[in-house]
Amino acid sequence: MTGSIVAGIGWVTSQGPGRGREAREFSMNSGPIPPVTRKDVFPEPNLRFGRLPQYSRVGLAAVAFALRDAGMDHWETKRSAGIVASTRTGCFTTDIEYYNTVLPEGGGLPSPNLFSCTLPTCFLGEAAIQFGLTGPTFIVNDPGEDALGGVRMALESLSWGECDTMLAGHIDLAAGPAIPGIRPPYVGGLFMVLENARDSAANGFGTLDLSGGGGVRHDGIEIAGLNELVRACLAFPGRS
Amino acid sequence: MAERRARLNEVLITATAAVTGLGPDLDTTWRRLLAGETAIRPIRRFDAGRYPARNASWIEGLESRGNRSLLFPLLERLLDGFDPLPPGCRLVTATTKGCIDTFERVRKGLSGDVADIPVSGPLAWLASRLGLNDPGVNINSACASSTIAVARAAAMIESGRADAVLVVCMDLVSEFVFSGFSSLQALDPAGCRPFDRNRNGLSLGEGGAALLMMSAKTARRKGIPGIGSVVGWGAANDATHVTAPARDGCGLIQAVRRAMAKASIGPDDIAAINAHGTGTVYNDAMESTAFEAVFGARPIPLNSIKGAIGHTLGAAGGIEVAVDMRSLADRTLPPTAGFGEPMEKCVFSVRPFPQRIGGIHLLSTNSGFGGINAALILKGNPG
Repeated sequence: MTGSIVAGIGWVTSQGPGRGREAREFSMNSGPIPPVTRKDVFPEPNLRFGRLPQYSRVGLAAVAFALRDAGMDHWETKRSAGIVASTRTGCFTTDIEYYNTVLPEGGGLPSPNLFSCTLPTCFLGEAAIQFGLTGPTFIVNDPGEDALGGVRMALESLSWGECDTMLAGHIDLAAGPAIPGIRPPYVGGLFMVLENARDSAANGFGTLDLSGGGGVRHDGIEIAGLNELVRACLAFPGRS
Repeated sequence: MAERRARLNEVLITATAAVTGLGPDLDTTWRRLLAGETAIRPIRRFDAGRYPARNASWIEGLESRGNRSLLFPLLERLLDGFDPLPPGCRLVTATTKGCIDTFERVRKGLSGDVADIPVSGPLAWLASRLGLNDPGVNINSACASSTIAVARAAAMIESGRADAVLVVCMDLVSEFVFSGFSSLQALDPAGCRPFDRNRNGLSLGEGGAALLMMSAKTARRKGIPGIGSVVGWGAANDATHVTAPARDGCGLIQAVRRAMAKASIGPDDIAAINAHGTGTVYNDAMESTAFEAVFGARPIPLNSIKGAIGHTLGAAGGIEVAVDMRSLADRTLPPTAGFGEPMEKCVFSVRPFPQRIGGIHLLSTNSGFGGINAALILKGNPG
């Protein structure tokens, strides 16, 4: 299987927003996510961002930071780039927010704006519009503990020639006491820009590929989880 | 290229099952589809009296056990008598809202098993029920979820990453989703009328499908005949609007062209189209525009089964593939229930009665919120 270069990394975690070329350390844990504002993400006024619920803001911001890190945030024509993210809880926080508009009035005043964000993929659509991305976009609910399901599928998609570039990552927000007992281990959003190694001019943050058993490898070394993967990328000696 | 293709595995569908509002199995659904019947009728699951539209296609006799989700009896019904799975079979599911009824119960302060709410709940149930070692993954891509799940399974088999994959697609009718589509004024109070001049919105539905897919080599080794094959797939985002389709159909055009390129066939090879056909003004117009851009003015037989079983969301594409396999085997495209008068500028042959299919390739498409479009090309057995 041909490897893929990590061309950029962006995230929003409990420590706030960040991107690969500005960071040496990374940790995604179960801590609360600070608010993400439009100014953190888009320098110009943005009609959509302020209306989005937190899940969509975190996801869209992480995609934006990853593209900025890869130097791909500016565009003129649409691009064959797909997006895939793994999640444990999807957009539960938005579901709760929306359903609260259904409950009090007996179904009389459900919010159409919130409902349109009650699919975990909706922020992928926002990202596709903002950045002109026309590849496949989907969310994978992966019960695995490593939070690498999205990265794994993106690597497969690239090797199968489904598109030129994939944004791959993970997103989860804590549902809190509204749905007790559901605590995702990785809270926040993280995306990596992956390009086929044979098409990429830069070393980026190293090369990813899949082992025969489906494990994600960074420069040939099998990775156990999301934090380990990002740290390996940030520590990559030839990063460019 | 020819050498590369020769090394790839052919992807067969060897078993299908479906549960819809029309019936507890694929045979009943198929028979009633051909008769032009619809399962869209007044909702009894919750009080829909406060909404302008009050109909959906729901499954008769689903009963919750111990406050668990109705998804589990739906899946029990779906898998009852399903073919045995080969060792090492992988699991790919497609659902948009999973056990949404459990979510509703918990939020109303009623008892419900919280562990069912994340999709890992039904995934674990399925893996255990089927005796699979693979914990599985769920694909969520709005109303194209199961189309992308089938495409993913096909790519896994073609590339040799899996010998066999079971795709299970499922979604329920719930007040959560019903109230949302109602708030978007997207529900037709009269029941959906795909590709009709007077179409006025969709009708929701619930259902499930199970599709066993395997490499031709594995099937041959086990002596399992294929019902048909998945020969092409493609997906694209139109990058235009989150809840409305691109008027020019750019995403769907791209998805269909990718699928045809994958299948190494041209527009003239497509003998029939099973469209998404939700019955909303913009979706059906977008699809007609996209198909005309790809196929020209050739009046290809085209249908939508959503006037019969409603829009089953994440299950839609999977149920449609199960029905498409019957269509190809019988060379018959079921009627478009709800269709009366042709919509403006649609060159395709949409009929309220069954149509003959004069070939072996069928195109099946779905589109969804977030701008996603997905296409599959299915091939029937010759003869």
